[in-house]
Amino acid sequence: MNLFRSEEHARRWPQFNVASETVGFISLTDLAGFFGTETRRHMLDADYLSAWFPRRADERREYVTRIGKGIPFWLGTPDT
Amino acid sequence: MAETQTRLMDRMFQRIMHGLVDTGRPPHYAELAPGLGLGVEEGRRLLHAVMSAYPIGWLHPETDYIASFPPLNGLPTQYRVTVRGEQKWFAQCGFEATSVTWLFPGQTVRIDAPCLDCGESVTIQMRDGRLVDVDPPGVVGHLNYGFGPSRGRPAFL
Repeated sequence: MNLFRSEEHARRWPQFNVASETVGFISLTDLAGFFGTETRRHMLDADYLSAWFPRRADERREYVTRIGKGIPFWLGTPDT
Repeated sequence: MAETQTRLMDRMFQRIMHGLVDTGRPPHYAELAPGLGLGVEEGRRLLHAVMSAYPIGWLHPETDYIASFPPLNGLPTQYRVTVRGEQKWFAQCGFEATSVTWLFPGQTVRIDAPCLDCGESVTIQMRDGRLVDVDPPGVVGHLNYGFGPSRGRPAFL
């Protein structure tokens, strides 16, 4: 989960996984949204671990689906 | 009893997170235990319970040291975080770097990292969740192996 100067830079990375070629990129705007969903805004709250963190997985699934990445690679579900 | 354990876990979580924000490093369980009214060994066990409940972070293998507590990292990474001109934090990865902004409300958070291809700089600045500067403008995020343990590779790659 890295930031690169551009997609071309990522593709030149010696550890680049060719399976990520068509599915592995995300714009910075979408990324900031993905990691800025509601639960993320409560990380300093006293009840974050018990009340907010458990909601994170559903929230992430909903977000990646909304930005057109509702596939196993981004959902973390097994490939079928 | 269960409620007490939940509350203790919340309190330890918050002390770790706030400790990271305040100092740039995760506290040790022996430092945390007295403030929670616990003995040192009880503190160690509670730390393991917290990390089990927060599996996106991890202890350094074979130790009780907090290596990663996202979005920040105890172990240095290439993602350096600067706030108020002070660079004393590291983000867990490039993705979590975009979440650090929520730990510093009202502040501009700057992330600097070398590009893993060329070593040239990647810099983003955020404030209250908004991207306020990106250099170079074409910066992208890249997920190399996909999320999920079934893929068998470290998610942070």
